[in-house]
Amino acid sequence: MASIEMTGLTKNFGELTAVNDLNLKIRDKEFVALLGPSGCGKTTTMNMIAGIEMPSAGSILFDGRDMRTTPANKRDVGFVFQNYAIFTHMTVRKNLEFGLRVRGVEKSEIQRRVQNMADLMRLNDRLDWRTAKLSVNELQKVAIGRSAVTEPEIFLLDEPLSNLDAAFRAFMRTELKHLQHEFQQTMVYVTHDQIEAMSLADRIAVMDLGLLQQYGTPNEVYNKPRNIFVANFMGSPSMNLLPCRLTGGDGAWGLDFGNAGTSAIEDGELARRCKSAAAAEIVFGMRPEDIDIQPSEVGHPGLNMEVTFVEPIGPRTVIHLAAGDHQVKVAKDKQYPIEIGATVKAAFPKGRCHIFDAESGVAIGLE
Amino acid sequence: MTDSVVNASPGLSPRPAKSGRKKKPVLTPLEREGKKLGLYMTLPAQLLLLFIVAFPLCMQVYVSLTWWTPLDGTKWYDAYESLNWFGNYGDIFDDSKFWGSLARTFLIVVVVVPAEFMLGLGLAMLFADKFPGKRVFYSIMLMPMMIVPAVAGYMFFMLFQSSGPINDILSAITGTRIDMVWLADRDLAMVSVMIADIWQWTPLMFLILLAGMVGVPEDQMKAATLLGANAWHRFWRIVLPRMKTVMIIALVIRTVECFKIFDILYVMTGGGPGVATKSISVYILDLTFKDLEWSYVAAIGLFILFFLSLIALVGIYYMQAAQKKAEA
Repeated sequence: MASIEMTGLTKNFGELTAVNDLNLKIRDKEFVALLGPSGCGKTTTMNMIAGIEMPSAGSILFDGRDMRTTPANKRDVGFVFQNYAIFTHMTVRKNLEFGLRVRGVEKSEIQRRVQNMADLMRLNDRLDWRTAKLSVNELQKVAIGRSAVTEPEIFLLDEPLSNLDAAFRAFMRTELKHLQHEFQQTMVYVTHDQIEAMSLADRIAVMDLGLLQQYGTPNEVYNKPRNIFVANFMGSPSMNLLPCRLTGGDGAWGLDFGNAGTSAIEDGELARRCKSAAAAEIVFGMRPEDIDIQPSEVGHPGLNMEVTFVEPIGPRTVIHLAAGDHQVKVAKDKQYPIEIGATVKAAFPKGRCHIFDAESGVAIGLE
Repeated sequence: MTDSVVNASPGLSPRPAKSGRKKKPVLTPLEREGKKLGLYMTLPAQLLLLFIVAFPLCMQVYVSLTWWTPLDGTKWYDAYESLNWFGNYGDIFDDSKFWGSLARTFLIVVVVVPAEFMLGLGLAMLFADKFPGKRVFYSIMLMPMMIVPAVAGYMFFMLFQSSGPINDILSAITGTRIDMVWLADRDLAMVSVMIADIWQWTPLMFLILLAGMVGVPEDQMKAATLLGANAWHRFWRIVLPRMKTVMIIALVIRTVECFKIFDILYVMTGGGPGVATKSISVYILDLTFKDLEWSYVAAIGLFILFFLSLIALVGIYYMQAAQKKAEA
């Protein structure tokens, strides 16, 4: 049993506030990803959970126990560093044994557990190797195994996959998910890769500039972004965000895209959300894969745009559209039949449009 | 180009065995010319080095095999006239004054070097962490090392006078008047000299060890902490194994240096009272300028050189072993 509860967590480095009033509850056995661009405070948060950094303010509770006075070596937290921090002067076996030895575990028990871990991580034939001879992929396994062998209830991973080659990364992604299932641990996973976060985590905490932007399931974060930052950060290619003016009133809302034209809003859900708009200046968002391309004469709400560029990227085709000052990317199946220069209608997807306040960036009318 | 490609793929052409004899690389005429030119260019420097290092050593060996002394006007190159082969070396074994000085020097080394090592290590551990005023303390810490040993000796000479500050301080601490005759007592004089040497040379030990300690990657220390290691575990399992080489270097440097202890000691006690603090260097000084036994001094010098080389060799052996282990 190990839940983590952070309340008002703040960390200042001199003038800089790395983490600002963070409130986050991580349930027992939950897999949470801290997601954000570099410098957003996610690693600092992780270090505070581990006890390497002390918070400037706020508290961290493990299962309701305040961790303020518990030093890092007593927190029983597994930690995998981005660069692995393998003990290079020891063999693989000594690395795996380390956590157990300093805990004074019996010799035979150490041997048994190290053997099990080596089996699990497929490091058997490397046990007596010097770590200098290992590949990056193997170092990664040693780093995870070394922490996992002590069976911590909380496992923290700081961008553990960022140094790996693409194939092994995909492999380790599934492996990590299996491991978590096996160990029944609470896992906190720091990453800047939204695909990793989406595929691994039960819940994602999106951070930027030391502030928690949104905390929810991958589905929530992706489909109901709370603000422009989250909307833009999640998804690749990222969401089309078009600044525009909200026109009309109740029952007959419209959008004015300036020199790109105008469009009515026929979507009932979107119209309901428009009512909450504080100002006419808004940002209209659509995910590239949600946009429907139709002939320009169709009356569906949308913008008539010109095809400027077509990118065939393997499984998909990314179509670039432009009208006036606005550009829109549309993601379609591979070998989508379309010609550069054609004028088409980028039809707004029903129930899948997003509107944000232009000034604050906050999603309008999201419940 | 094609050759190397063929050679690189096993099966197409037999590859030379790995352990096979190394073939002498075939040089092009230009390369051969270049090698020759290189030799000519470095020749002056090589000759100079030969003169600086090899000549005095050879001369010392030569003189040590004779009874030569310049007092009777014999030139050094005519020393063979009084050739006695290993007579001087034989004398060393019968020279109780020599063995006494050597024993005292030994005593100083085995007390002073470990003490400096432990103190230096402790200080290095302190200075590996951050604390307020660290830079100032750091500068202060290094100061003793920069003082001319003779001056440091004079400082301690004054401090250890029976009417000097050390006795006053001890009196103040204990509450009763203490009047120890530090430099006139056989044992206390030795202790005083040792304290002075420790004071002066702990900073060097500290500096070398600190450099080694800072070289321990911080992330590994963090990783160890998070795996449950306390400060003792971290020191014992991470810091120490990584500092082995540096520790050996520090110990060898200080052992060899300490063996040659002279200035600080000579200023403080002059080797006295009696011969109580007479180190090998002081003994050699006496031989050279009081007894004028120059060929004998040469023999003793070689004897000690051999001895110190042994210590250095042992150190180098352990250092290489440690390094090999780290790299393997």
